[in-house]
Amino acid sequence: MKKFIFSRILQSVVVVWIVYTVTFWLLMATPGDPFIGKKQPPPAVLAALRREYHLNQGDFHAYLAYGWQVLAHGDFGPTISYANWTVLDVIRNSLPVSVALGAMALLIALWLGVAAGVLGAVYRGRWPDVALAVGTLLGISLPTFVIGSGLLMLFAVETSLLPSGGWGSIQQLILPAFTLSVLFLAYLARLSRASTLDVISSDFVRTARAKGLSPMKVIAGHVLPNASIPVLAFLGPATASVLTGSFIVEKIFAIPGLGEVFVNACLDKDIPLVLGIVLVYTVLLVLMNLLVDIACAFADPRIRL
Amino acid sequence: MRQTLLIPSLVLLIVGSICFYISTPHRQGANALSFCEAGQIHTLDPDKMTWMQDIRVATGLWEGLAQLNPKTLQPVPAVAKSWKISPDGLTYTFNLRHNARWSNGQSVTTADFVFAWKRILQPSTAGGYVTMLFHIAGAKAYFNSLAAGRHAGFGSVGIQAPTPYKLVVTLTHPCAYFLSLMTFPPFFPLNPAAMARFRSNGQSPAHYNPRWTRPPYLVTDGPYYLAAWKFHQYLELRPNKYYWDRQAVKCPALYVRNFPDSQSAFLAYQSGAVNVLSFVPTLFAPALLRQQRQHLRNDVHYRQVFGSYYYNINSRHKPLNNPLIRRALDMAIDKQAIVKHILRLPDRTLEVLVPPESIPGYVSPRGLAMNIPAARKLLIKAGYPGGRGLPVFKFLTNSGAAINIRIAQAVAEMWRHNLGVRVSIHQEESKIFNQDVVQGNYDIARAGWYGDYMDPTTWLDLYRTGNPNNLTGFSNPRLNALLREASRQTHVTQRFALLHQAEKLLVTRWMPSIPLFQYSDGLMYNPQRIGGISTNVRMITLFKYIHKIRPPVSQAAEANR
Repeated sequence: MKKFIFSRILQSVVVVWIVYTVTFWLLMATPGDPFIGKKQPPPAVLAALRREYHLNQGDFHAYLAYGWQVLAHGDFGPTISYANWTVLDVIRNSLPVSVALGAMALLIALWLGVAAGVLGAVYRGRWPDVALAVGTLLGISLPTFVIGSGLLMLFAVETSLLPSGGWGSIQQLILPAFTLSVLFLAYLARLSRASTLDVISSDFVRTARAKGLSPMKVIAGHVLPNASIPVLAFLGPATASVLTGSFIVEKIFAIPGLGEVFVNACLDKDIPLVLGIVLVYTVLLVLMNLLVDIACAFADPRIRL
Repeated sequence: MRQTLLIPSLVLLIVGSICFYISTPHRQGANALSFCEAGQIHTLDPDKMTWMQDIRVATGLWEGLAQLNPKTLQPVPAVAKSWKISPDGLTYTFNLRHNARWSNGQSVTTADFVFAWKRILQPSTAGGYVTMLFHIAGAKAYFNSLAAGRHAGFGSVGIQAPTPYKLVVTLTHPCAYFLSLMTFPPFFPLNPAAMARFRSNGQSPAHYNPRWTRPPYLVTDGPYYLAAWKFHQYLELRPNKYYWDRQAVKCPALYVRNFPDSQSAFLAYQSGAVNVLSFVPTLFAPALLRQQRQHLRNDVHYRQVFGSYYYNINSRHKPLNNPLIRRALDMAIDKQAIVKHILRLPDRTLEVLVPPESIPGYVSPRGLAMNIPAARKLLIKAGYPGGRGLPVFKFLTNSGAAINIRIAQAVAEMWRHNLGVRVSIHQEESKIFNQDVVQGNYDIARAGWYGDYMDPTTWLDLYRTGNPNNLTGFSNPRLNALLREASRQTHVTQRFALLHQAEKLLVTRWMPSIPLFQYSDGLMYNPQRIGGISTNVRMITLFKYIHKIRPPVSQAAEANR
């Protein structure tokens, strides 16, 4: 077991290093100079800026310098576009916004999705099921920016029921969280419908019905717990994609999350900031997978082999 | 098994709530004013600022020796209560007021100015506007010696502080706008004591941990201090109780915000979440101005500003090094049609470089008007009748604003139709665009410039040989001589006459750039609710005077209560 955990940790470290390397060289290959703006300072000032950001002695030196800075200080140092903030400061301030939005979106997706899926399965072939099929098809196929803009027009511009964007109140969270949840909601509804159908036809459900339990109790007590196992397995990858996929929603609703910062950092060629955000996401994903693998290995000895 | 859905739900709820709680701003009071900037704040280090929004916030937090009167744009006393200029225009003696104080209660003294100016003159500070200090005697030599790695003494720089309240500055040449520069962030004082703990050991003297600009560490001497700065969300400015002119500051809390795009900012403004927009959204501007004309709204404050939109022509290579072709290109453009049909805004076309009637006392020369037959003749004279023999020019424009590409397409069509000149339009991301322009990888490139100070040289210097901002590669000894002569001239009228002559030659003979139109810009606020803003040609809004006006109705209601 120790050997297994050790080798998985080692693999994770290698993955993070590969991601760092690829990101760095891709950034270096993109055209543009982060320090050249509309107004040109004297060459000595440009040289000082390059020195400050380790970009004065060639790309390979910068590659090693940034790598060393992260290992030694756990930070990439100041960003280029927001010089008063280090990469870590930016992430510390923006990541909670994206996480809060993502968590709320998943929560909505989980409850509405499972409820809709179970409803569809129970009323199989009847109108709720058909409505579910149409709804999930739309949810999966409509892009986020269409749903987001539509909701914005309907609830913020036409009726003024909810604020158009920004961050700070629960009302401001409703529209973006729902927009972000739609895709996951649709997937979860399909998934839970299928698994509910499996469970409904199993022997123990028939036994429960035969004992005279009410249909509500059968669903809540016997069907739902068993039908939600595949749903939970889906939550792992969904967490990752909800975090990385919130950019468009952040843009539409003017939410100060990490997605918007990341895209601007790419456009500004803010090398330390891009590296930092990519690494944070990588470490998060690798860590999640590592924990899941280790947990699975504990539960199922065959995996360790 | 019952918990299968409950546990992940609880985890999501708890994680989401904690993250939401720590990332949300706290409530702003009813009297607080919310001011929306067009872009993100990049830095609050006055020595490194180059962005408009950073500079605007800096003038709320700091105060230099002088400040601009927002109506007349003339420098008026600030930290310096008075000043004396020697008859030769070379020596400025500033008398500092004794009651000027930092937000931590300390007195503002000349040592704070000397410290700040010495800091920006270190090349390692990487001050974007350091060249503005080169008017001071010895400053350029000091900077260049340090940049070359040689030791240099600060004693040779013309900055002396005989007493804590008297500052004597000696210039290399008379500078008509030197007092205006005192209102600009690179000349603001810094508090050495507050910054000392952030100085990095073993690094150059200019190197400070950038955290010194963040609350609660930032100590400033202006109308406000920085109470909070939530990244990507807002800055909270509160009145500096030690400020010498405290009673002039009427706004109890000022929130500086920005949004990812102008549409969402406009929606926030419409919903009342923002009280002042520092711009008029381009997309809605024609409609908003129409509504204003029909008296349906009164909150659009739009005017011509000290900025222009033009095309740079690369004068380094053949055949565009020939001024005849450059002039032909200028005269073949119907600038009026661009303003009327593409911009659809009350912008003014330009035939000169310096926006006319902006600088009191400066008379603009007459530029070249549109004249297609004359333009064709110029091409024939240059040896390219009907554009035959000319290569296809690389016409560079930056993405971002959609209007750029539309103007470029219109101009390209005018050149093709009127002159037979062909161009290939390249649209590039701003970072790549800027790099290509600086490196001269273009034939014709879009450009825009906002004047940094109220003097024609803020434009004319762009064509001086050796200026890093000379992007056209244009070099002409006659122009350099005229600019040099003007810089030595102390008499305002004679100086302006020399600059007028230089501009006339630039726009009628040499034509290194083709001016298209003068920028218009504006603010949006309800004048019945917000006071203390005066729109001016440089769009300078001083946070010091801005405040909410209490509606008279509610005052009456309160009295009844």
